[in-house]
Amino acid sequence: MLGSYLPALVFLALGLVVGGVLTVLNGIIGPKRPGTVKEQPYECGLPSEVTSNFRFGISFYLIAMLFILFDIEVVFLYPVAVQLEAFGLFALIEIMVFIFLLFVAFVFVWRRGALEWR
Amino acid sequence: MSLIAQVQAPTVDFRGLSPLIALVVGANVVLLAGLLRGAGVQRVLVPLLAAVTLIVAGALSVAIWETGDVEPLVQSALAMDTLTLSMSLLFYLAGLATIALSLRSSAVGEAGAGEYYTLLLASISGMVVLAAAENLITLFVGLELLSIPLYVLCGSAVRERASLESGLKYLVIGSVGSATVLYGLALIYGATGQTDLGRIAAAIGEQVEVGDPLLLTGIALTASGLAFKASVAPFHQWTPDVYQGAPTPITAFMAVATKTAAFAVFLRLFDAALSTNQVEWGPALAALALATILIGNVGAIGQRSLKRLLAWSGVAQAGYLLAGVVVGTRLGLQATAFYLATYLVMNMAAFAVVIASERVSERGDDISSVEGLGARSPVLAWPLTIAMLGLAGFPATAGFMGKFYLIDAAVDGQYAWLGVTIVVGSMISLVYYLRVVAAMWMAPDAPPLAGPVRRMSPASGGSPEADPRAQPETVAVALVCAALTIAIGIFPSPLFDLAVQVGTSISGI
Repeated sequence: MLGSYLPALVFLALGLVVGGVLTVLNGIIGPKRPGTVKEQPYECGLPSEVTSNFRFGISFYLIAMLFILFDIEVVFLYPVAVQLEAFGLFALIEIMVFIFLLFVAFVFVWRRGALEWR
Repeated sequence: MSLIAQVQAPTVDFRGLSPLIALVVGANVVLLAGLLRGAGVQRVLVPLLAAVTLIVAGALSVAIWETGDVEPLVQSALAMDTLTLSMSLLFYLAGLATIALSLRSSAVGEAGAGEYYTLLLASISGMVVLAAAENLITLFVGLELLSIPLYVLCGSAVRERASLESGLKYLVIGSVGSATVLYGLALIYGATGQTDLGRIAAAIGEQVEVGDPLLLTGIALTASGLAFKASVAPFHQWTPDVYQGAPTPITAFMAVATKTAAFAVFLRLFDAALSTNQVEWGPALAALALATILIGNVGAIGQRSLKRLLAWSGVAQAGYLLAGVVVGTRLGLQATAFYLATYLVMNMAAFAVVIASERVSERGDDISSVEGLGARSPVLAWPLTIAMLGLAGFPATAGFMGKFYLIDAAVDGQYAWLGVTIVVGSMISLVYYLRVVAAMWMAPDAPPLAGPVRRMSPASGGSPEADPRAQPETVAVALVCAALTIAIGIFPSPLFDLAVQVGTSISGI
């Protein structure tokens, strides 16, 4: 039973040895000619213009998240609404439960002031 | 059109689903109740509603208790068998204890009582789904429903840097764990062509070989991902940091309930779906168990923070528990379920005392905060002593019975060396468990801190309550859990009987 672990162990050992040897050899015998261009973070094409630590209002994030939530609700309602006769009463009740749960979430975000722009 | 017209409404067994429905309804009610203003609502009504929800869910679980291999519900997605229900009861008990421990926690005030308790209930419902999952997809949904509220709860003390760090750390590492599980589940599905645990079990050996590389890779990845959640070494590194930074009631909840949920799914996945493969995954999990026991116990020795110490001890305990999974037998299933119950009472007792003492001590959860506790307030020192002795596995405590059962299962399942490892691990663990006991009873009262006095612990709510009687609910949790630790150690037979009933839940092992 342990025999089936042998390939995995060989693979692990091989990976460590090959990876380790190549890294070490690179550090020892590789040419090192650092330059300003080489030290820049790479971004495809033109030199990067975007600073990494710019800030934007947290409200954007909140609104976007809430939008996705209720957007998905609508997307989810469409197929059921179109084919309600085929799906029957069960689907109607299920979708009512779903809408109710989202309604609870809506009341929550509304009362907690998440819909007010700050 | 004709295709859609054939859609049949699935038969839903509302009776079987009632505990889950109760939890979800309760979570919604708590969320809405939390919107009401007023200190009475926030401090009394919301926790009360959350507690009532858990009690109702627990009562419903007892009502639908049925031994044997129960027919799964919802198109065979959820199995409400004795394994699920017994684990659910543990989640509810852990939840109730957490609610009691949270009452005076400042994290509740900072996050909002409604949000805090709703997230707690949501996480518990995820645990129930996870324990009940009879299907790979349900399993993953349950895992995420468990994890995401916990990430938020870890960071719920929003004014504490450590709490936020803990939440972020748990989010990042938990996501890696979830992704690993998902990858593994996808490979298991790819190898067997089934998502249903029962059908996977039937497919292994028939459509797919026992040693199929794709299947084994899937099992390995799933086991690694679940090992993240259960803090099994070498996937345990997050545990001490997250446990230390999170609000202590949440730490207690994570230590007990998350671990129980992770082991519930370990048991169901490996014993129900993959049991024919036991010869393949058994040795690998046994190696993990060995590493976990040694690393956890050795890591705990040097800790000064009680929360970190309990985190490392939790890692070691995960190793003991894994021994019950490794053997893949009915006895192993019973022993793991039994040990999870004893682990709950012992750990809750320890955490309750840590919470009570860190609220009044200017040393936080440092081990010096309990120095001289035996003389100062024996009502706190005794539960911690019993919990420590129980976790170490002293006779006449629940821990002894649990370890005895696990060793019995390990030896019975041809893993005698794992049983020996449990004994050796317990011996190492005495070093740090007894250090806490010695600090409480033998060390003199720690001298007051020189230099600037540490700001009162985040859990104190700003007011030092020097008298343990000022927080009766915390002391009550500690005393009840310590009493249960002793009671199970002396009269284990009721819990043994229950474990035997849990063992009937999975047929074919």
